[in-house]
Amino acid sequence: MLDIKDLHSGYGELRVLKGIDIEVGENEIVALIGPNGAGKSTVIKSVFNISDVTSGNITFKGQDITSLKTHEIIKLGISYLNQGKINFTNLTVRENLTIGADQIFDPGTVQDGLEKVYTKFPDLKTKENELAYTLSGGQQQMLALGRSLMQRPSLLLMDEPSLGLSPKLQQELFATIASLRDEGISMLIVEQNAKKAIELADRTYLLEDGNVVLEGGKEILENEAIRNVYLGGRY
Amino acid sequence: MKNEIKTSLGGKTIALLAQSIINGLITGSIYALVASGYSLIYSTNNFMHFAHGISVVAAGYMVYWLFSLVGIPFYVTCIITVILSAIFGLAMYRLIYLPLQKKGASNVILLIASIGILTFFQNVIQIAFGSGVKLVGYIEVSKGITFAGVTMTLLQIVILIISLIIFILLYQFMQKTKTGRNMRAVSNNSELASIVGINHIRISDISFLIGSALAGVAGILVALEQNLSPFMGTNLMIKGFTGAVIGGINYVPGSIVGSFLLGMAENLGILVLPSGYKDAIAFSMLFLFLLFKPNGILGKKEGRFDK
Ligand SMILES: Nc1ncnc2c1ncn2[C@@H]1O[C@H](COP(=O)(O)OP(=O)(O)OP(=O)(O)O)[C@@H](O)[C@H]1O
Ligand SMILES: [Mg+2]
Repeated sequence: MLDIKDLHSGYGELRVLKGIDIEVGENEIVALIGPNGAGKSTVIKSVFNISDVTSGNITFKGQDITSLKTHEIIKLGISYLNQGKINFTNLTVRENLTIGADQIFDPGTVQDGLEKVYTKFPDLKTKENELAYTLSGGQQQMLALGRSLMQRPSLLLMDEPSLGLSPKLQQELFATIASLRDEGISMLIVEQNAKKAIELADRTYLLEDGNVVLEGGKEILENEAIRNVYLGGRY
Repeated sequence: MKNEIKTSLGGKTIALLAQSIINGLITGSIYALVASGYSLIYSTNNFMHFAHGISVVAAGYMVYWLFSLVGIPFYVTCIITVILSAIFGLAMYRLIYLPLQKKGASNVILLIASIGILTFFQNVIQIAFGSGVKLVGYIEVSKGITFAGVTMTLLQIVILIISLIIFILLYQFMQKTKTGRNMRAVSNNSELASIVGINHIRISDISFLIGSALAGVAGILVALEQNLSPFMGTNLMIKGFTGAVIGGINYVPGSIVGSFLLGMAENLGILVLPSGYKDAIAFSMLFLFLLFKPNGILGKKEGRFDK
């Protein structure tokens, strides 16, 4: 459903991605791993047209979206859970949840979505009128994920969603991600824990210095290079 | 006998203080109109729109031209002035700032551009209207109403009431409407705002429209209360900016509170200092706040969740 072909992208003069091909199929979970600065976030930013794409093509469900504006891309059913400042800290929990869906849906649909998210994450319901910065790390992550889900995406792009979470919360997050697939959402996930990523995903791409250097299914856990470099140390 | 003198002196001092505070509120309400528009624009666009000052002065001259020279009824003049101010602000964004941003201009370049715009239009006004002061004189300078030793003119009461109504409406707009919430979101985290689908250019359009309409209202009130001169925009802008910095430049209610505090500080200050020191009081406060409390009194601590 998402098809990235020979993508060159970066920021101004800085070239980050040097011609990569990545594909995400219908109902598939695809992981993107690689060292810091490899360009993982830039892949997602390119899809969302918030980095400077210099050449190549990105198509979604057969439609070329390479030069669509961000708010147009969202309407097609792609949502992006970013890395870093993931919530509007000075807005309430409820405002944080509805703000994404509000841009594309009528109030009734937004309200429906809100109730579904509150059922999925009851913690958010009890904090609905608090400002987002008062939430714990795990709740922040739920809030951001909840906001994305309210946009009813068929493709969810997630940039290191497990970062900063305790092992227990990470476990819960991965379970949630698996359940999202059952709801028919395809996912492209950037993950710093290579082992977890490969186990979770149907296919994994290894990105190094702006190039895809390895691609495969769960069998790449056995790959020499992966074992030595990523599964031994930090990764 | 002794006691009587004491109390009457005490009464006078209190009346004097009360008068200064009232004067401060009136000055402050004009500063606050300038500051709220300025900080609305700053918080959603992140660059210093110093040409905001010219929106105020242009509105003042618009009132002088339409009402005093052409003879259009006053209320019609006010409506036209506010609408044109809003459009003028939008035009500055669309024709100057946005094209510069698209060419990759930094916020410092935009600041320099804004000073250029301010200077340019101040000179245009001087060429069009001359450098002498202009007086609108719609409301006669009346003797004023004295209550409990404090004197206020009708005009001053009107200024205070109008600005308070506008601030309440502005607050409601920011808190209760979807657009207001989107503006707060852009101000809090502009990258995330684009990611969730908020069109930043649309938000900038609206912030320039509303911010400059507020400048238009300020200009009308200035025209009623003071003499107009082509270069008064710089001073007004500095006062509005100072008020915004005192209260919190990124937070519209903060900038309003800060402006009232500035107005009062100026008017209380000249109880003990010669009245020529008004501007010096403002500059000292600006300097101290920039140095020691750049987020202002109410400016939100970032409180952001950085992973
Ligand atoms: N907005 C930006 N402007 C300029 N350069 C950027 C920007 N964002 C990222 N870069 C640079 O682009 C390169 C790739 O960054 P990217 O964020 O894609 O890496 P990453 O693989 O996601 O790394 P990490 O694991 O640290 O998140 C880095 O050198 C980074 O400094
Ligand atoms: Mg990254």
